[in-house]
Amino acid sequence: MDIDWGWIGDHTDTLTDHALIHLRLALLPVLFGLLISLPLGVLCRRWGWLYPPVLTASNILYAIPSLALFMVFIQYTGLEPATVMIPLTLYSLSVLVPNVVDGLASVSEPVRQAATAMGFGTLRRLLRVELPIAVPIVIAGVRVAAVSSISLVAIGQLVGQGGLGYDIIRGYQLQFQTQIIAASVLIIVLALVTDAVLVIVQRLLTPWARARGRAS
Amino acid sequence: MTGVAAPDEDVNRLITFEGVTKRYPDGTVALDDVSLECPTGQITVFVGTSGGGKTTALRTINRMVEPTGGRVLIDGQDVRERKPAELRRGIGYVIQHAGLFPHRTIEDNIATVPYLLRWNKKKARDTARQLMERVGLDAGMAKRYPFQLSGGQQQRVGVARALAADPPIMLMDEPFSAVDPVVRAELQDEFLRLQDELHKTIVFVTHDIDEAIKLGDRIAVFRTGGELVQVAAPEDLLAHPADDFVAGFVGQNRGIRSLSFADTAELSLRDDLVRPVTAAPADTAGLDWVLVVDEARHPLGWVRGPEVTGPLADAALAPVGGTFQVGADSVRGALDAAVLSPAGLAVGVDGGGAVVGVTGGAELLAVPTHGEHHRRPGKEHPVDTAGADSASAVRDGASD
Repeated sequence: MDIDWGWIGDHTDTLTDHALIHLRLALLPVLFGLLISLPLGVLCRRWGWLYPPVLTASNILYAIPSLALFMVFIQYTGLEPATVMIPLTLYSLSVLVPNVVDGLASVSEPVRQAATAMGFGTLRRLLRVELPIAVPIVIAGVRVAAVSSISLVAIGQLVGQGGLGYDIIRGYQLQFQTQIIAASVLIIVLALVTDAVLVIVQRLLTPWARARGRAS
Repeated sequence: MTGVAAPDEDVNRLITFEGVTKRYPDGTVALDDVSLECPTGQITVFVGTSGGGKTTALRTINRMVEPTGGRVLIDGQDVRERKPAELRRGIGYVIQHAGLFPHRTIEDNIATVPYLLRWNKKKARDTARQLMERVGLDAGMAKRYPFQLSGGQQQRVGVARALAADPPIMLMDEPFSAVDPVVRAELQDEFLRLQDELHKTIVFVTHDIDEAIKLGDRIAVFRTGGELVQVAAPEDLLAHPADDFVAGFVGQNRGIRSLSFADTAELSLRDDLVRPVTAAPADTAGLDWVLVVDEARHPLGWVRGPEVTGPLADAALAPVGGTFQVGADSVRGALDAAVLSPAGLAVGVDGGGAVVGVTGGAELLAVPTHGEHHRRPGKEHPVDTAGADSASAVRDGASD
């Protein structure tokens, strides 16, 4: 396998640009997915009957091939970032909604009762007690969603929005291995770095959870 | 058999249950027409079998359970006239597994209600630190998280959190049930000491009749189906159980337990078996057992009279066994000391540990265990409550 290091040296700017676009295309959907999953998870937790249909629906969405979803949305959103980001947002729900529900369920009954008895109202209890305690499990879901989103974005190049996916397809068309390998390695690095950042964020947000396994 | 609470006209009542009933949609009755009063500044214990409705009754006070019939009054005001969240901020609440917020530090856990009441942060934290000291927690724990504390320490935090905004009422739902017996006894003793300083109106739920008797000024016994069977002072409950259910619940050894309410100040103690270590050997010849004491009258040990051949200082002494503090310990403590003594005699000492006299056998059982003028030794001398419990002489060494 011959790698043309000179080409890589000449194209660092382009590759960096593509990597940043890639990251934006991958992570904005996870953020939107989180913003949808939090209220949806809260509602599922509150009305248990809602959870099975929501879970089934999000799993069915996840089962639809991404290419098919891109083709559906391209009719409405054209060759724009939205065409890639909307399907990725929907995919993230199948990981994030269950994790929000599980996270809220991890709040023990004595803690919920104590909060109520101390005089927290429903909303205040949710914001100050239940959601903070759910953070470790929610972030675990965000990590999975973010990594899978970063690897999925490349396919978006088929509708003209793929970040580093452009370099993979271009390299294939030109039979130029270096471009394919460089883009693939960058995608893996992006995934690893994103995951590491999320781990650090979780540690900072939840110092109380660090040694929990040992204590309980 | 409901509404058996005998109203005491001179007691200022803070919490009043008036025919409170809780019936769930499926027909289950958790509370059946319960009427009673929980007097100001006293500990009322709800005790009973599981499913007896004692926790449900507790939760009607802070509106965590809404009755389907009757009403609950605090100082004459129906609790339903107050907003639940606002009402609850004025009522301390402690539960079995502490229910501490895992994501908050110890001081912030304790300051929960002050924060809700929008105290400034410094005042809230200062209060939290003071309470930590009050419930026996090291100040260095303020910045730790609950998972770093033992069960007993967590429960202390739970108590401090309930006290933070200085509520006049405390609701405690099996607060000491999840910790081991030694820690439980410590927490109970400290709880009584704290209550002696604070005089809160406390409703305390437990399934443990021993705990109820130890802590309660009044005990309300609940039976399955949410029926209130009897409300009485602990000594009356032991002496006069209302029916077979209560008699069975307080247990077969209620006679022994009732000795916890008999005051050792009323015992007549024998001084004629006590000899200073300097006494002449011939002085002990006619006695079965003799208690040898030093110059300060502190007990040294027992010796059989006929076995003394030389000076008492050279005699082989049997251990003292147990002692009890006259007037502070109950007769149950004295009986325990007698059982532990090789001579079968309990050694009564004063506050300084000097021997007042010895006693044993039938003499211990001749003291009245209840009556209008009789008070629980433990409640009158809170510092010595540990001694009011039967096993204190044995446990003192183990619990520190």
